[in-house]
Amino acid sequence: MAMQPHSKKRVCYYYDSDIGNYYYGQGHPMKPHRIRMTHNLLLNYGLYRKMEIYRPHKATADEMTKFHSDDYIRFLRSIRPDNMSEYNKQMQRFNVGEDCPVFDGLYEFCQLSAGGSVAAAVKLNKQASEICINWGGGLHHAKKSEASGFCYVNDIVLGILELLKYHQRVLYIDIDVHHGDGVEEAFYTTDRVMTVSFHKYGEYFPGTGDLRDIGAGKGKYYAVNIPLRDGMDDESYESIFVPIISKVMETFQPSAVVLQCGADSLTGDRLGCFNLTVRGHGRCVELVKRFGLPFLLVGGGGYTIRNVSRCWTYETSVALGVEIANELPYNDYFEYFGPDFKLHISPSNMSNQNTPEYLEKIKNRLFENLRMLPHAPGVQVQAIPEDAVNDESEDEDKVDKDERLPQSEKDKRITGDGELSDSEDEGEGGRRDNRSYRTPQPRKRPRLDKDGSTIKDEIKTEDSKDDVKNISSVEEPKKELPPNP
Amino acid sequence: MAANMYRVGDCVYFETSSTSPYQIRRIEELNKTPSGNVEAKVMCFYRRRDLPNPLIQLADKHQMAQSEDSPIAMKLKKICLKTPVGEEQAAQAVLDPALAAMEEESSELPGTDGLAPKQRHQAKHRELFLSRHVETLPATHIRGKCTVTLLNETESLLSYLNKDDAFFYCLVFDPSQKTLLADKGEIRVGSRYQTEVTNLLKDGEEDVRNSEELETLVWTPEHGLTDRQIDQFLVVSRSVGTFARALDCSSSVKQPSLHMSAAAASRDITLFHAMDTLHKSGYSIESALSSLVPASGPVLCRDEMEEWSASEANLFEEALDKYGKDFADIRQDFLPWKTLKNLVEYYYMWKTTDRYVQQKRVKAVEAESKLKQVYIPNYNKPNPALITSNSSSGKAPAVLNGGTNGTATVTAAQLCASCQVTNSNQWYTWGPQHLQYRLCGSCWQYWKKYGGLKTAGVFGETEVEAAKGPRGEGEDTALSVSHRPHRCTVLNCAKEFKLRAHLARHVATAHGSGEGARPVMKTRAAFYLRASPFTRLARRLTRALRRPRHYARSPFSPINLTQVKHECSAAMAGLGAAELRAAGAAAGAARVRGPVGAVAARLAAARGTPPATGRHDWLTLTPRDAMPHPPHVAFPKPPKAPDGSLMYERVLSRAEIEARRAEAAPAQPLKRRAYDDINGLDRGAREGGECAAPPPAKRPNKHPAPMQRPSREQYAAMCARAQATGQPLPAHVFTHVNGKPTNISGRGGRRHVISWMDAPDDLYFRANETAKVARRSLSCGELRRGARAPWRALRGGAAAPAPLHHGGAARLSAPAVYSRCTYPARPSPSPPPPPGTERRLYFW
Repeated sequence: MAMQPHSKKRVCYYYDSDIGNYYYGQGHPMKPHRIRMTHNLLLNYGLYRKMEIYRPHKATADEMTKFHSDDYIRFLRSIRPDNMSEYNKQMQRFNVGEDCPVFDGLYEFCQLSAGGSVAAAVKLNKQASEICINWGGGLHHAKKSEASGFCYVNDIVLGILELLKYHQRVLYIDIDVHHGDGVEEAFYTTDRVMTVSFHKYGEYFPGTGDLRDIGAGKGKYYAVNIPLRDGMDDESYESIFVPIISKVMETFQPSAVVLQCGADSLTGDRLGCFNLTVRGHGRCVELVKRFGLPFLLVGGGGYTIRNVSRCWTYETSVALGVEIANELPYNDYFEYFGPDFKLHISPSNMSNQNTPEYLEKIKNRLFENLRMLPHAPGVQVQAIPEDAVNDESEDEDKVDKDERLPQSEKDKRITGDGELSDSEDEGEGGRRDNRSYRTPQPRKRPRLDKDGSTIKDEIKTEDSKDDVKNISSVEEPKKELPPNP
Repeated sequence: MAANMYRVGDCVYFETSSTSPYQIRRIEELNKTPSGNVEAKVMCFYRRRDLPNPLIQLADKHQMAQSEDSPIAMKLKKICLKTPVGEEQAAQAVLDPALAAMEEESSELPGTDGLAPKQRHQAKHRELFLSRHVETLPATHIRGKCTVTLLNETESLLSYLNKDDAFFYCLVFDPSQKTLLADKGEIRVGSRYQTEVTNLLKDGEEDVRNSEELETLVWTPEHGLTDRQIDQFLVVSRSVGTFARALDCSSSVKQPSLHMSAAAASRDITLFHAMDTLHKSGYSIESALSSLVPASGPVLCRDEMEEWSASEANLFEEALDKYGKDFADIRQDFLPWKTLKNLVEYYYMWKTTDRYVQQKRVKAVEAESKLKQVYIPNYNKPNPALITSNSSSGKAPAVLNGGTNGTATVTAAQLCASCQVTNSNQWYTWGPQHLQYRLCGSCWQYWKKYGGLKTAGVFGETEVEAAKGPRGEGEDTALSVSHRPHRCTVLNCAKEFKLRAHLARHVATAHGSGEGARPVMKTRAAFYLRASPFTRLARRLTRALRRPRHYARSPFSPINLTQVKHECSAAMAGLGAAELRAAGAAAGAARVRGPVGAVAARLAAARGTPPATGRHDWLTLTPRDAMPHPPHVAFPKPPKAPDGSLMYERVLSRAEIEARRAEAAPAQPLKRRAYDDINGLDRGAREGGECAAPPPAKRPNKHPAPMQRPSREQYAAMCARAQATGQPLPAHVFTHVNGKPTNISGRGGRRHVISWMDAPDDLYFRANETAKVARRSLSCGELRRGARAPWRALRGGAAAPAPLHHGGAARLSAPAVYSRCTYPARPSPSPPPPPGTERRLYFW
């Protein structure tokens, strides 16, 4: 894919001056005020005047229920600190209380955060901008009907849903130190959104994001998880980020990108355990920007607020393609940035538990998975058919059977775990041997997906051995066509 | 230095028992106690050997399930992943025939493919189980760093084996409930979790979304103004703001000087307002200017910082002090006329003020007890399990002289129980006492760190293998050892069982006792030898036993029992019963000494004193005041308080010492310190140039109290005793408490202080041939002198090897003594071993 030089782009920036004054509660690490601190830095750095600045609308309940369940949004709209006691049961059900407290203006906060991302996505759709920024968004843990990890409404999912109106494939990249489980879960079974998350894995919130979680059903291989260990530094991060993202761009060919810039992957974060500097973090923005796709930047985690505002300021400058001085300009929050009052921060001397070998192995395994995608390297890019099942037979008829099958055809034969129509008729009479024509599903991966496959396995206990034997023959394309479309 | 610096978040080895392996913990918090010690709040990792057996088996199967997609594996995964599995359930699951069948298949952790059986065995030592269990341990028990990472399926276990101190974990163990759980969340699949994906708009279909409804433009870069113009306008708006403050009464009170007004007018709110004004006036500077100065007067923008009066600010600080950052409560009780947003905005701005900085300093001092890191010096004390003789196991002689055992154990014991080597610098006793296993130095280290033996060949492994028949290949042994079979501790039984329950049953049935199911590690067996009349007779009769002194000195040299028996029977054959009894009785009969009075009289006669008839005044005690006073009192009694109690000098805790020091020194402005030297002991360590955080008893003492020094007489007595028993002096005699080796070559140097924490170890000096020869060449007087002053090289004239080998019992052990310092602050200055000593006495 064509890489574009570091260039000037039309940048839209979404900010509501109220967002900084929502307060999660005493001792809570999430501090929306960091967004305001970023904003003030942007003004004093003179970046403000170089962008289109928008005050987003407040997303309506209607907009939010594009993803979230109605009763969850209704609950969020009605809960207040003074009526909490009436909602005990629902609070438990929606996981609101501890990590995700009820605070004053909770719903408005969600509205502003979601409103920004949705407006930004619409902006990109209208091609009125190349890069949109919403530091108030990026709340990637929120689930369909559940709050999680300081996130209530998943603005990212709402934004991506908007983008999907105009973009066949949307890529989501997550460089928060935590796994972007909310977004991954929302798009776990679709092949139109690929979620790529780089995160600390192992004894860490939210506990998901294993290398083996790759999506399910149609979405199999469309969830990419890069589990990392403590102490990731700039160099290691780039060494894994660049090849993975390039490969993803090459195989998935998205037409829009959403980057979640959680700043808790920075060194010295109150909750994080990575060792990235502002420069290393911003490098990811730069790399993604180079692909020149419609680009939505959202915030996310980040709990050492002085570094969060440093980071997002720098990343705004990267998005704008403007160099800014290391010396911080005077602003209302200048004292926070002492003792050096510099934009850039130095890494700590913590040890990096991610050895090059470990990263290499992870990378190779992910490459293997990416190879399973319909777009194999070297094959002409094709649009993914809207519904593979319906037009499959027509396509097959057109294919010359003596020719080597194009990759797209081969891939159609590879049935995802969840797609197996393992109905009763398979066990019956004459149709039984049909099974042998079926190209066995790739079984390289030791772990089963969670969708529906359990049923299949319980029925086909005696078949599993055959399947295992067939692994070796996966690579060879079978010429025979499945008679049972 | 860096290696010994332990930070919060590090995984470390903790030593809680000298014989068992280290415990692996992760430091969660480091707290300084009032006494100056550092306590570490740690999270526990468990080794395989710490887990109940059924759980271990289940864990193995879980691993299998991970790498396989068989339905049984799925079933197991369900048990394992979804709910925590208890011990009983696990045991049940293991008994499940379907699962049992799985055992037939290979059972390795993922990534074990292509590992040799030995490596596979060792890989099991690297597996840990995470727990949420937290405990508090003294930081001085830290014995080094290690790394624990979540095993990734792409990794081969070899990468852990190839790295020292590298561990992995897959599962979480709950020690209180005895359950296992996979540390893994899951992405749920179903319509309740996924979103409905919006369809791509069809050609000609219009998007209903309208940007105008979604956003309000506040600024656009397409303004046609230069940067300079904007900057100029910002300056103008600030000057307008300054002027507005001059006009405003309340402002002029708050900001009495022009500077202050200008500073207030330069705050970001004025700038944002200026930008908004520009935008609203269509980026026309002219109209923007006029809207800055409307008819009502110049525009005044004030943020919360400025809006608040001094009394409100005071109220806020007071409230903050009282309620913390609970702004809702603060608002309710202190500042009801403000909104919550006002409070939050003010709070974040207030944090930039000096008042906050001062408060923070106070808090920082208070938080001094929370450490970020701690320096723990290397631990060099010998392990009690260390065998201190270099030629033989320390415990063997007891058994041998008792005549209970043949030579088989000797040879077995001389091998390393793990790697079978016969040569090692150090030997450690290992395993149950009666088995007399020992480990070489490197295997001991391995055992301490990884909680197992390098090879699977010990613990009667061969029998297990034989029992298993042809199927029992390397893997099986590896498996069985890694499962830590429960073995019977009853002497000469040592049967192994997979489950503890089975062992308990075995003990109950075979040995008729309910206890002992748990392998007991006795530190030392208590025994005594009761000589039977025949033994006594044999001692008298046989020539082989005519050298009782020799055997007493070298209890480890075997006595040829068959010869003894032979001679005994030969001698006894010619004797009648009565003669036998007489011979026995002659040995056993006590010498008749008569009553005490007679003895005393005899002694008096021997002294030449005429036997006084009535009183033996020399038998009365010397009055206390007439007793000779020692020239130096080692432990003088402290002065008495008026009430008669003894007044001991108070030992100051570090905190107190520092408090005093701080009092003495003028308060220095606290500066933000770099990460690595925050309020740590390391600071103290650097200042003192000495090791940090020793336990109080061993605290570096700048002025060692003279009272702690043994007197000349005590000293001589100790040395004499040591010499008499053939032992070198207990090393602690020379060891200076604060980690500095004492000057052994003369007494003029540092004072000797005995560490009362250490009981003298059981050591003995084994004289080799040269030593004995040398000893013989010395006169009796020289020997005595040597005994009294063991640190002095013997002048022993002609005997050239003497100073080396004998006179220097102390000399010899000198390097060892050096390296035995409890807390060496710097590398031990151990001199090279004197030539000719093939082995030193101590090796640490």
